[in-house]
Amino acid sequence: MADTGGDNGPGKKAADKMFSLKKWNAVAMWSWDVECDTCAICRVQVMDACLRCQAENKQEDCVVVWGECNHSFHNCCMSLWVKQNNRCPLCQQEWVVQRIGK
Amino acid sequence: MAAPMLKDKGSLQFEDKWDSMRPTVLKLLRQEPVTRAEWQDLFWDVHSVCLWDDKGPGKVHKALQDDILEFIKQAQQRTLTHQDDTALLKAYIAEWRKFFTQCSYLPKPFGQLETSLAGKTVSSVQKKNSPEDSIVRKLMLDSWNQSIFSNIKQRLQDSAMKLVHSERMGEAFDSQLVIGVRESYVNLCSDPEDKLKIYKENFEAAYIEATEAFYKAQAPQYLADNGVQNYMKYADMKLKEEEQRAMRYLETRKGCDSVQKKSLHIGQIASQQFQLTECCVHVLVTAFKETILAECSVMIKRNETDKLLLMFQLLDRVPDGINPMLRDLEEHIKNQGLADMVAAAETITSDSEKYVEQLLSLFNIFSMLVKKAFSDDPRFLTSRDKAYKHVVNDTTVFRLELPSKQKGVAKTQPESKCPELLANYCDMLLRKTPLSKKLTSDEIDARLKDVLLVLKYVQNKDVFMRYHKAHLTRRLILDSSADSEKEENMVEWLREVGMPADYVNKLARMFQDIKVSEDLNSQFKEAIRDKGHGSIADCVNIKVLNAGAWARSSERVFVSLPMELEDYIPEVEEYYRKTHSGRKLQWHHLMSNGIITFKNKVGQYDLEVTTFQMAVLFSWNQRPLERIPLENLRLATELPDTELRRTLWSLVAFPKIKRQVLVYEPEAQSPKDFQEGTVFWVNQEFGLIKNGKLQKRGKINLIGRLQLSTERTREEDNEGIIQLRILRTQEAIVKIMKMRKRISNAQLQTELVEILKNMFIPSKKMIKEQIEWLIEHKYMRRDEDNINMFIYMA
Repeated sequence: MADTGGDNGPGKKAADKMFSLKKWNAVAMWSWDVECDTCAICRVQVMDACLRCQAENKQEDCVVVWGECNHSFHNCCMSLWVKQNNRCPLCQQEWVVQRIGK
Repeated sequence: MAAPMLKDKGSLQFEDKWDSMRPTVLKLLRQEPVTRAEWQDLFWDVHSVCLWDDKGPGKVHKALQDDILEFIKQAQQRTLTHQDDTALLKAYIAEWRKFFTQCSYLPKPFGQLETSLAGKTVSSVQKKNSPEDSIVRKLMLDSWNQSIFSNIKQRLQDSAMKLVHSERMGEAFDSQLVIGVRESYVNLCSDPEDKLKIYKENFEAAYIEATEAFYKAQAPQYLADNGVQNYMKYADMKLKEEEQRAMRYLETRKGCDSVQKKSLHIGQIASQQFQLTECCVHVLVTAFKETILAECSVMIKRNETDKLLLMFQLLDRVPDGINPMLRDLEEHIKNQGLADMVAAAETITSDSEKYVEQLLSLFNIFSMLVKKAFSDDPRFLTSRDKAYKHVVNDTTVFRLELPSKQKGVAKTQPESKCPELLANYCDMLLRKTPLSKKLTSDEIDARLKDVLLVLKYVQNKDVFMRYHKAHLTRRLILDSSADSEKEENMVEWLREVGMPADYVNKLARMFQDIKVSEDLNSQFKEAIRDKGHGSIADCVNIKVLNAGAWARSSERVFVSLPMELEDYIPEVEEYYRKTHSGRKLQWHHLMSNGIITFKNKVGQYDLEVTTFQMAVLFSWNQRPLERIPLENLRLATELPDTELRRTLWSLVAFPKIKRQVLVYEPEAQSPKDFQEGTVFWVNQEFGLIKNGKLQKRGKINLIGRLQLSTERTREEDNEGIIQLRILRTQEAIVKIMKMRKRISNAQLQTELVEILKNMFIPSKKMIKEQIEWLIEHKYMRRDEDNINMFIYMA
């Protein structure tokens, strides 16, 4: 890798190449790293904001939360859920937040 | 005054007084001068007799009646001496007017008589007593009515109608005569319940009858002599004339003084006018409805708006009269619209701009017709919309074949291609194109609004959404929008015309993503510059987009990137992981692109290329002059076969350039013709030619329409549309069921169409299939007693 990188890198030598890179516009798509792409609480895809956030036009802030059980939901949906029942709606294990998406 | 009262005290009987009262009464009747003393004495005498003589009031009344009758008899004789109608009318009206004037004077001195006859106290009677209710006045009018009027009313009426008839025939006469007769009819009635009774039963009825008879004789003759088109003018003119005439000769607003009665009165008058108009309309229009209507479709075809307007105004007076005209208009728009589209099929199928222009010009022509011929009447506007919708959604000129793979059988259901072409046209306006450069900002806005106008009539709006989004994706990723403000305006306009919110929100989200990506880029470049990768960082731009809002298909194509880029990617991923958590990145090289510099012995050129084109061309960097066979290129780039062939084709046969970047042999007609052994090499003679001169430097865009779509995407797009429709239909059914709990099949279908019509019109077949599916999956069930009733199952 280092070898070829040195040869083809955009250094002085590049000017000698027949084709040399001037500009590259790369495109990537991000999505939440989840096992199930629908939030089991609100039935909306986790890539879309939950209904509450859609209605309030806060799509940007609607993130996903993962539990220790590896199940994931919209963070807003889950924070309402745990007020009534501190268990994962899918596996009934006690709900412990593993991480929150950002 | 005190003296006579004292002197005559004791002799206040009727018999004593009447002889002195009578001459004054007769003078009053004959409209002869009465001195102030006589006038005042009459008041006094009536007063005395009524108060002092118990039988006085009755006797006064009787004596008064005799004198009035006698007077009327004389008047009648005077009148009847005239044989000639006009003279008779004149005489009668003169007599009547005189008499009627006296009707207001004569009752005045008999105030006490009124009171006594009514047997009420002075104060209460004075309050109620209005001149018109006066007993004496009633006596006078009734007497007139019973004697003179009932005797000669037929002659009067006939004479008046004869006059009206001769006026209709164009002869001039004194209209006051007819008016005078009518006034006598109106004023004669003393029936407080219906003051116009006599007038209505005699004069009005006769008038309407005469009118009807007149036109029954005239109208068919005119039609036969002058033809339908002239007849319409005639009928319209006569209707207006008769309305004018009725204003003169029929009672309009007279004879009522109290506000409440007046309003009632006006209501009655309106109904009389209405009766006359109705009668005229019946004789002049309804009777010839069919004949008139037969002209309608021809006039529409010839765009004879003035005549149509006349026809519309005439037939609009007939109940349901314009319905056949509405049908003719619809028929015309459908036929004309489709005929024009078919005639221009060759140009419009290949050019979305021409197509949209053609549709719009049709719309404008039809709208102008409705405006000029039917004054933008809402009923005609509805017909225009209905018929235009038919034209827009027609599938004869071109259609979009939508696959419907149900139960393994692939079938296509043709739909209008209109939404796809509308989306293409939108793209031409919003992208940097010769068209968008040529137009001013206002012109572009106007045309975008035109698109929205046509879109309103499109049934399969979901197809427009899909194509519009694909075009927007392309514009945003290739950074080829002509004006980003217009882009965002368009999104808001789409929201305003009722596009589904989740769709519009996704479009809005795409703009947000682009802005977020710009920030990410600059932060990332700062970071990587510190690590010493500055030079490549300067030429790379990253767009990290929300898969939910952007991704159209799951399709991702792998390609082996040039080494320097392959190395760069992990850097980006690492940086991204640091700033975000819980996200995964997928690279979509199908969408990415760039600029490469191509140097050969002719010169040095900048090529705008897709990443696939870039990967293919970079294969030659190690071996600039080699001829490389197809299979080796596949190994080097790792592109799937179809993508590789397509990419190569774009480099050996790019439209409109004289010298291609790559050369190959043997000759092929399409990408499919490339053999495994077909060899490709870089064209060392490549150069850009401008105005016939070879350029040493220059820039060319080789991306063309390639980017962002693969061979499969198009088909997938269409399948995706169907899939989405199925989901939307299920979703909507469940939504309705959840709300209604229990609903009949027919009601469900209606509500479903209502919910979905902004996206597409679900076919009966699809609705049935989705209901079956939902029943199978226990979302709902049929009522056991009624197969057409559905019940929601929670």
